[in-house]
Amino acid sequence: MSVALTLERIDKTFVRPESGAREAVLRNFNLRVAPGELVAVIGPSGSGKSTLLNLIAGLTLPDAGTIDVRRTDGATPRLSVVFQQPRLLDWLDVETNVQLAADAAGVPRDAVARALEDVGLTAYAKAFPSMLSGGQRQRVAVARAFVIEPDIVLFDEPFSALDEITARKLRLLTQELWQTRPRTGILVTHNTQEAAFLADRVVTLGSGATRVVSDIAIDVTRPRSAEDLRLFEIHRRLLAGLT
Amino acid sequence: MTTAADDIGLTRPARSGRATGAGRALWAAVGPPAICVVLGAALWQVMAVALHSPLVPGVPEIGAEFARIASNGLLLPQIAATLERVALGFALAFALALGAGLAMGRSSLARRFLEPAVLIGLTVPGLVWALLCVIWFGVSLANPIVAVALSAAPAMALTVAQGVRAVDADLIEMAHVFRFSRAVKLRRLWLPALAPYLLSGARFGLSLSWKVIVLVEIFGMSSGVGYQLNSAFSSQNVAAVLAWTLSFGVVMAILEYGVLQSLERYFTRWRRESRV
Repeated sequence: MSVALTLERIDKTFVRPESGAREAVLRNFNLRVAPGELVAVIGPSGSGKSTLLNLIAGLTLPDAGTIDVRRTDGATPRLSVVFQQPRLLDWLDVETNVQLAADAAGVPRDAVARALEDVGLTAYAKAFPSMLSGGQRQRVAVARAFVIEPDIVLFDEPFSALDEITARKLRLLTQELWQTRPRTGILVTHNTQEAAFLADRVVTLGSGATRVVSDIAIDVTRPRSAEDLRLFEIHRRLLAGLT
Repeated sequence: MTTAADDIGLTRPARSGRATGAGRALWAAVGPPAICVVLGAALWQVMAVALHSPLVPGVPEIGAEFARIASNGLLLPQIAATLERVALGFALAFALALGAGLAMGRSSLARRFLEPAVLIGLTVPGLVWALLCVIWFGVSLANPIVAVALSAAPAMALTVAQGVRAVDADLIEMAHVFRFSRAVKLRRLWLPALAPYLLSGARFGLSLSWKVIVLVEIFGMSSGVGYQLNSAFSSQNVAAVLAWTLSFGVVMAILEYGVLQSLERYFTRWRRESRV
């Protein structure tokens, strides 16, 4: 089921606990993500990227504006997040971590085995997260995010805590999953190469009260190769927009 | 579906239960506490021999008294009576502490509301609760249950509240995003995350419970280890006082090694142990 995501005139202000000063992170912010589109959001620290995801995920509320996530059949859209850290329940095995998300979404149990197979962790189903490498733990988080057949997937710097080799492999894995089952998604990242490689569109935010500096469509069909020269060119443009 | 990242894994799931070094492991578990007990008994015996006083009986006399109360059928029923009272009082304390601790940890309003009651509860000596409960409830089961619960609950509630505040906010957000039900959050997130604090609170609460139950049984009960201690004290039988105290120690050791440590191992089995 395709879902469009629209943020209109969003304001969000935080109060600094140490000084009590109010700081506007998002002001009159607008963003529309088309059904099945993966939009990367990049920008400097403090530009409101993570706040944006927290607002969409319902972890914080906007001061003003509307967030509209609508399924064409009127049902409540399923949303999942791949966080920067895997955020697994360390006392539960891999399978149960994924199972809990599936149960909460009412997804049949056999989906868990498929999700673990998709991320190559079938052999580790009964292992505790502490027994896994960082890359494996993040793959569990990816399996948990996709097992619920989400309408919207939010990625919050999902591979930034990993070494580059592992991150690269997980980007390939994400691309495979996206190609098999396209969703509506937002990828927040500091990594311009990652944004160019995974997204259909890259939105660059400026610092201060957030404004969109650039909005670049990436017209390269999947599967993409990290060595694709067109992606290098987009990467170069993104970097130029940031500096 | 094959993944492009099949070779990421660097580790395999750990296998448990290798039989190698089982004797060494048993010795590591039993040896140090056994040496401690034997050393304590030896020091006591040295003191008893040195003082040569009827007020300080030696280990053989205490052992003989212990054997006598065990063989005449007195020991087990009295311990069972005390254990029942402690178990009921502790269960009530645990339920109260869990509810109050969760509320105090999650809500600042609940914390401000309950804090005075907890602080007052912490400062009231167990002896006062024991006396008050004897006055209020007389020789009934409610007496030890309420006294134990009032003595143990405040400290346990504080421990639980600390544990709640220490639970990783990232996990709470994750559970919110994936729409875990309240029951799943409680069973799969809160209780396992709080397990170390619950066990620590249970240990402390049990130690307080033992102290209070003895007082309650001395002042207001006609059975139980406390009552027997009082009887032995009245007849100036120091060996019997120590034998009944020893029986308490044995029960505590069984609870610690048989129950609490087993629970601790179960609830922390997922932890990776440092090899250095």
